[in-house]
Amino acid sequence: MRPRRLLTPWLLLAPALAVALVFHIVPFFRTVQLSFTDFRLSSGGQYIGLENFGALASSEVFWLSAGNTLLYVVVVVPLLVALPLLLALLVQPKIPAMPFFRASFYTPVIASMVVVGLIWVFLLKEQGPVNWLLQTLRIVQEPLPFLTDGTLLLFSCMLVTVWKGLGFYMVIYLTALANVPGELHEAAQVDGAGSIRRFWSVTIPSVRPTMLLVGVLSAIAAMKVYAEIYVIAGPTAGPGGTVRSMVFTIREVGSGFDGQIGYAAAMSLVLFVFTIGLTVVLQKLNRENREA
Amino acid sequence: MTFKPRKRGFLGAIALASGLTFALAGCSLEGVDTGSAASDDELAKVEGEISFATLELSSNPDLKKYIEDSIAAFEEEYPGTEVEWIDVPFAGAQEKFAADAAAGNLPDVVNMNPNFAQPLEREGVFLDLDEAAPDLADLYVPGAWDGFKVPGVEGSFGVPWYLTSEVTMYNAGLYEQSGLDPEQAPETFDELYENAATVSAAGAGAFYGLHPALENRFMTDLAKIGVPLIDEDLVWTFNTPDAVAHVEQLAQMYQSGVFPADSVTQTLNDAKEGYMAGTIAAFPSGPNFLNGIEQNSPDVFAKTKVAPQIIADGGTYNMSVMGLLIPKTSENQGTALAFAEFITNAENQLALAKIAPVLPSVTDAIDDEFFQDDSDGTELSKARKLSANQLPNAANLTPVQYDDQVKNAVLAKIQLALTGELSAQDALDQAVDAANEITGATK
Repeated sequence: MRPRRLLTPWLLLAPALAVALVFHIVPFFRTVQLSFTDFRLSSGGQYIGLENFGALASSEVFWLSAGNTLLYVVVVVPLLVALPLLLALLVQPKIPAMPFFRASFYTPVIASMVVVGLIWVFLLKEQGPVNWLLQTLRIVQEPLPFLTDGTLLLFSCMLVTVWKGLGFYMVIYLTALANVPGELHEAAQVDGAGSIRRFWSVTIPSVRPTMLLVGVLSAIAAMKVYAEIYVIAGPTAGPGGTVRSMVFTIREVGSGFDGQIGYAAAMSLVLFVFTIGLTVVLQKLNRENREA
Repeated sequence: MTFKPRKRGFLGAIALASGLTFALAGCSLEGVDTGSAASDDELAKVEGEISFATLELSSNPDLKKYIEDSIAAFEEEYPGTEVEWIDVPFAGAQEKFAADAAAGNLPDVVNMNPNFAQPLEREGVFLDLDEAAPDLADLYVPGAWDGFKVPGVEGSFGVPWYLTSEVTMYNAGLYEQSGLDPEQAPETFDELYENAATVSAAGAGAFYGLHPALENRFMTDLAKIGVPLIDEDLVWTFNTPDAVAHVEQLAQMYQSGVFPADSVTQTLNDAKEGYMAGTIAAFPSGPNFLNGIEQNSPDVFAKTKVAPQIIADGGTYNMSVMGLLIPKTSENQGTALAFAEFITNAENQLALAKIAPVLPSVTDAIDDEFFQDDSDGTELSKARKLSANQLPNAANLTPVQYDDQVKNAVLAKIQLALTGELSAQDALDQAVDAANEITGATK
């Protein structure tokens, strides 16, 4: 092979490779390196072996953050796999006015998380519309403290994540649904299957790979939750700081001139391992499902 | 053409990873580049180019023009100098300056408040002005000059620039509606809280007497009632009986509905918005907030009255200080020092105070009759006079160690006391422990 031919693909790759190297690969390895140090911007750092990881293991705040993050994944991911599919089925028919609904459901996706968060803060206030509705319908006697009670705050944040994500995953499902051959539905209909039966036996198996994709994407997003918590629970992460996610804590300990960057890097690495682990488990589950 | 699965990709990845690991192993783990202080000869040289960073001033056209004119005047007075102005948005400024400091390329003159500056001062990033310009300290309001000192570190690192000292603002309309005398401002904390309870009872959820604004006021209120916040060894000490009584009072007010239900997790902005929306009746703030009220809510502005800042007997007034600091990495420290002195001289500060509701830090300027003249009868000039008269007995009451991390750790505990999940004593004890854990690691 002539050298020119060998060089051309690399030249074409170079811009993308440079971006990946500078913005992804080098920072990743720098994070790995820093996680073994007690680095601070102000005073620098030294290698301290696995001390950061030992400190993490015995840190209540870390386990609280990890627990909340896991809870977030457990609650948010199933909702974000199921609800957008139902929504996609609803808006799939090509009838007038449907594009309007599709666009409406997609709007929260393009809105900034801060704006969405502020809107929900207004809705969820003690004297806000949601509490007014719940009281008017006599579902509750007293207004619910959505924004001041630790547990309710976490669920309020989850609600916002789900609401904002619906449109995005709906669009992914719409593409998948468009690829389901119509003949399958027709054949099932001829065999006497009703719409519910067709949903379980035709639609679900056809979009299963997409469900896995949505599951993985939403799980990764849920692992990285930050903005919802900051906007809704405030900079303290709710009363007692109990509504914190891992990213919230990473940012808190790592920011500022005195930020413990080494410790924050170690926590980032743990989050990375958790995320990869979760993705692998989801993929494995799907494979077993398919083989079964 | 078909491709066989190649081992080379995998090997390449390993090669890349190990290459990077080796490269990073050589990557610096050093801290901030502090540079070195210029010699007296170098400090005497006023020439060359400097950069000047301010915090969010260019959005106001008058201020923008003021800064540009001041720079032009400086360049005219010192031929051969050139000043490049950089205006940094307040949000994220701390991170930006921290990164700049770590890289050793802070602007030659940086505008910071004492809390921003403190960790950098501690590491020796800035020029010690007590040494570089020993005569300077006498020209400035003492409480402001002391704002740029760090406990345990010799020297003073910032030239105070503009100051604000809060006054009590209240909505006389809401006071009257609640059966209170609209002309009678609260003068003590007890009066403020009693009035708040009366207003909130009359408002019945539509408006409230006060917002706790923990983010803004918790620590300074403790200082105003005489609670010692931090000792000389940088150990936090604010879990005193007085502080317990204060937190118990806040909790009682929150639980009995004197404060809005969601206020416990809200920020300073929510409190400001509440006041401007006419749903909060009293708000202690710097006179500069009056401009915001006038622009955003003329109705509330028309009903707003001002009164002196509330402090306990024998207490100290709070003031916020902005200063100009010169990093030792600057190559033109002489020019930078001359510029900091020029921008903060009496003439220039007086001119600034006439276009923005701030106070000068130079004693010569604060004595100007402009600050005593409230003959136009407006609340703005009244607020200016009140806050100017507070300055001789004012200090920056927020300890410089009270950074965002400490603040959030402390307030998270106090929030639990307000909601009743912790007793005031436990909340304060835990807050002190949490604060000491963070501050102790860096002192």
